Amino acid sequence: MPMYQVKPVFGDDIKTDLPTCMYKLPNIHAQRSASGCSEHALQNGTEVVDPAFRDLEVRQDKIMRRLYELKAAVDGLAKTVTTPDADLDQTVTSLSQSPTATSFRGTADLDSLLGKDLGALRDIVINANPARPPLTLLVLHAMLCQRYRVLSSVHVHSSVSGVPAQLLSCLGPRHADSYVRQRFQLGFTLIWKDVSKLQMKFSIQNMCPIEGEANVARFLFRLVAPYPSDPALATLVDSWVDTAFFQLAEGSAKERSAVLRALNGALGRDPWLAGPELSLADIACYCCVLQTGPAASSPANVQRWLKACENLGHFGPANPLLQ
Amino acid sequence: MEKLVFWEVEYVLFMTDFKKQQLSYTSQKALNWYMVFEVFLKGTLFFPCEPDRGLVRVHELTPEKAGQLIWVRARIHTSRAKGKQCFLVLRQQQFNVQALVAVGERASKQMVKFAANINKESIVDVEAVVKKVEQTIESCSQQDVELHIERIFVVSQAEPRLPLQLEDCVRPEGEGDEVRMRARALGPRTTTSQAIFRLQSRVCQLFRDTLTNKGFVEIQTPKIISAASEGGANVFTVSYFKTSAYLAQSPQLYKQMCICADFDKVFCVGPVFRAEDSNTHRHLTEFVGLDIELAFNYHYHEVIESITDTMVQIFKGLRDKFQTEIQTVGKQYPSEPFKFLEPTLRLEYSEGVAMLREAGVEMGDEEDLSTPNEKLLGRLVKEKYDTDFYVLDKYPLAVRPFYTMPDPNDKKYSNSYDMFMRGEEILSGAQRIHDAQLLTERAMHHNIDLEKIKSYIDSFRYGAPPHGGGGIGLERVCMLYLGLHNVRQTSMFPRDPKRLTP
Repeated sequence: MPMYQVKPVFGDDIKTDLPTCMYKLPNIHAQRSASGCSEHALQNGTEVVDPAFRDLEVRQDKIMRRLYELKAAVDGLAKTVTTPDADLDQTVTSLSQSPTATSFRGTADLDSLLGKDLGALRDIVINANPARPPLTLLVLHAMLCQRYRVLSSVHVHSSVSGVPAQLLSCLGPRHADSYVRQRFQLGFTLIWKDVSKLQMKFSIQNMCPIEGEANVARFLFRLVAPYPSDPALATLVDSWVDTAFFQLAEGSAKERSAVLRALNGALGRDPWLAGPELSLADIACYCCVLQTGPAASSPANVQRWLKACENLGHFGPANPLLQ
Repeated sequence: MEKLVFWEVEYVLFMTDFKKQQLSYTSQKALNWYMVFEVFLKGTLFFPCEPDRGLVRVHELTPEKAGQLIWVRARIHTSRAKGKQCFLVLRQQQFNVQALVAVGERASKQMVKFAANINKESIVDVEAVVKKVEQTIESCSQQDVELHIERIFVVSQAEPRLPLQLEDCVRPEGEGDEVRMRARALGPRTTTSQAIFRLQSRVCQLFRDTLTNKGFVEIQTPKIISAASEGGANVFTVSYFKTSAYLAQSPQLYKQMCICADFDKVFCVGPVFRAEDSNTHRHLTEFVGLDIELAFNYHYHEVIESITDTMVQIFKGLRDKFQTEIQTVGKQYPSEPFKFLEPTLRLEYSEGVAMLREAGVEMGDEEDLSTPNEKLLGRLVKEKYDTDFYVLDKYPLAVRPFYTMPDPNDKKYSNSYDMFMRGEEILSGAQRIHDAQLLTERAMHHNIDLEKIKSYIDSFRYGAPPHGGGGIGLERVCMLYLGLHNVRQTSMFPRDPKRLTP
């Protein structure tokens, strides 16, 4: 027991920072690395960053970004130069595979084309054989989707026991609004069925079914854009469409090579098959040419034209089915 | 020798005149080769040979078995005697085969006479040699073989006069429906009826299998209930000790309680009793109901997809594995094969109304579809989409029962749906209201006495998931799948306002 006890004069323990090393020298190595890499200046924890240095970094970033943008623009322009009558926006954004937000044709147009709206979804029903998928119609479907609000669905009929998975998803992913059919202007129902000829049904009271891929393509194209008003040009378009479906797709090897030669000749004169703009003739011929053989085996003009078509970006839906 | 004495004694006890006469003609050899066996008092059947004799099924009689000596047990379908030969057609369920008894070293003239005199529909045991035939026998299911009989025994004799002739049963409908319904032990022997009921059994099995694979739980619901669930007009009353009870109109109330009890997905197969005095081709007072109820995650279309997928699996199972049965039925009741789409076509009610209006029918936006309109709509859909099975979604709220969930986007319509096969309704379903408050409001709106449905509303007070479902009638689905015209043909023992037996 202690003799005297004194109350503590000053408060609780005060933490004193006792030094652990006797002599301290500035670190020679750290300074050198800090000046070396500009990007990781902050990561190293050292606060010694030259403000001028930081400006240099920022400028470099900006220049690199502009360089990439210019490169993309030049690429787009290169494609435009080789592809006649291409829309710059479409080619640039088609690289990113996103649908362009084009202007909507109002329902007034559909009323004049398809007849008065009775308050229900106007549903176009197409019965196709899974052995011969209609590529032209898939391309036209993509074009329709850009113009109108289209509800697309794919069904398999009981006469067919099974179809490959890519045929089930050929119309694209399901629309988010598809549970309310009334919100759509047009319906596109593709049914894989055991039919000898492709068939389309629209209005059973007023129309008989339309048979043949060429005729259905004509019907769908008129919903997208009008036929050329010049009768000679319209006839030319029609004749190319018929040539594509009858001689190219279903003809013998001799007929096919004859058509390819004719295509070669026609494409030497004009950038597109029927005049200065893309038309149904080009869509039909593209699909039929690629269905019959690989692109490399066609004449030079035809190959150039095939590349131009691909650059336009409309033919995306057809490509997975061509493999 | 002792065996023979034993039989003789028994025969003296049980013989009829016919057999006494027969015994005077026969020799010991003949006795061994053909006779009628009596069932002893204990009910056992006595055979003069080893009991583990193998019997061959009629549908297994193919040219591969040519030359073999086999035993067959079947019914006599027809018999025709011509001098020294007797032609028999032996029938076993859907299959029949021609058999021949000819006078020769194995058969005597008396045996041929005996065979010709066996009553039709008797069950016989036959030992015969399978012989290939050059000319196909068109009238039998086994067309390229014939049996040459060496021994024939009658196992069970039928009365000489049958209440109906089976040839009449196989004629297309009309005559004899009444008689056919009464003699239910006889009528379904025809190949067509066999095919129909086998197909029906398969429908039930496919229903169970498909749902079990999807994770559903089968439940059994009570059929004696205390309160009529919907309107009180269409229930049967039974006396229940000192009070009375009702026979269940539908298992819906109990299905919903199971969903609230966290079973998530349930189905039940059981009888449904509806006391409707409708004498139509598609109504029965008692039928087998296949009911489904499930809780969904985000949208009631998940329920529709689940139900339609089940139906499509049933149709595909029948299409792939039961073509023989469908063809057999088609011979007597010809119809178009059943067509469907996968995934199932779903149209909205307003689209259906627009299609009807286009065809010239005048109806209001919120009016219910009458039966002729339903049939017309079915024909229009068949013409446009080439499908016999489709769903009509978003019915108007005014024509649906009080427990149907209204459409949140448009209060004129509801989240309810009907499914049609060949233009006739087979299922009426909806998303159910799972909120007790909303349910009370809707019940009051429909002027329903809240006291009677108090226990129903109570089941939703303790956290009920959003759910929906529907139920189909087994007989009606089979009838419409095969394209028949009367539901009584698919019901083994039909019940309607005028029929209580058999």
